[in-house]
Amino acid sequence: MTGGLLKAAALCAALACAAGLTSACGGQVAAPKQGAAKPAAKPQGAAKPEGGGVKSAAPKVTEIKEVDLKTLLGAGSVRERPLLVNFWATWCAPCREEFPDLVEIRGQYGEDRLDFVLVSLDEPSDIGKAVPEFLAEARAASFPSYLLNADDSDAAINLVDPSWSGELPATFLYDRSGALVFKHKGRVKPAELRDALDAALE
Amino acid sequence: MKKLSAIALLLALALASAGAWATQDSDTPDAKAALPVGAAAPDFTLPDADGRAHSLASLKGKSGTLILFIATECPYSNAYNARMQKLADDYRERGVNVVGINSNSNESAAEVKQHAADKGLTFTILKDPGNQIADRYDAQVTPEAYLLDSSGKLVYHGRIDNSRTGYLITSTELRDAIEATLAGKPVEKAGAKAFGCSIKRA
Repeated sequence: MTGGLLKAAALCAALACAAGLTSACGGQVAAPKQGAAKPAAKPQGAAKPEGGGVKSAAPKVTEIKEVDLKTLLGAGSVRERPLLVNFWATWCAPCREEFPDLVEIRGQYGEDRLDFVLVSLDEPSDIGKAVPEFLAEARAASFPSYLLNADDSDAAINLVDPSWSGELPATFLYDRSGALVFKHKGRVKPAELRDALDAALE
Repeated sequence: MKKLSAIALLLALALASAGAWATQDSDTPDAKAALPVGAAAPDFTLPDADGRAHSLASLKGKSGTLILFIATECPYSNAYNARMQKLADDYRERGVNVVGINSNSNESAAEVKQHAADKGLTFTILKDPGNQIADRYDAQVTPEAYLLDSSGKLVYHGRIDNSRTGYLITSTELRDAIEATLAGKPVEKAGAKAFGCSIKRA
């Protein structure tokens, strides 16, 4: 009973967050290069709550290609907020294990200060079930979420970071100037990540 | 005076090298650093799952050696079990020996032995305590392949092919590299990355 109530409360919060992010994104479009981040607009638009969020909407995950990933990362262009990107997969145990930390950190910094997006490397066939189900369970439904269906994993990995071997999870932080200022491969160390976020937000 | 500046120089060098080591000790060493393609692969001695020690020299194939960093629990690595065994079977008689290395600190020798039996992996699998060889080779992900030619020089480093599931294999970089090496030709594509599990370091 209590669990159900808690779940409902979490869902409401998630939906409110999604709605908040939509308007925040609307503001972003004004910035010329940010507007190019088209994929970012899709999931939040679709996740708009209807009828007061009574019905549980499954988290929306948008399939992207290398070119969309490049746009998403901003290609070194100036951004309104720092951008934190976590690459993960449902088949990756340390990825799943670090979700409580990711959710907590996103809650702490808030969506008005930090853009935090998730990029799943699951199979495209998992986009409708395994990925959104996990996100809902992990209370990460309100994150802007993508599934990278790369034509060439080698190109995709190198466009993020040539020194990355492709191991998951992997987390990258870009500051407002669009520069990659922090990277961590393997399960995040929350204290270390917070230090990097604090520095990027200064 | 001269002595003093010499001491200062030595001190500076010591500090600089300490700094370099500190970077290598971090979770995220740069992939460029450790073992570039074209370099001689360093020899090592590691125990197999029964505790018997094997040197790389003793495991070298007449025409080449394929080192595969693998895992027992990683679904990505496990998706390649049959393909890795097939490489071992296909190239044994042509003089290429396959050697598996398990560097995961959370997977014991007993688990490695059981896993090989369960999955029908008949090539030699070594345990890398303290992930020293993974560090030496800068292996980060499972599966991750290192192909050495008959002289022990690294000629290919990276993924096995482009498709984890095996349904959509459109490039077989590792097999191409083995064939080129056997034909005495240069390897056209000396590296390609894929997503995978991170090696769990001690």
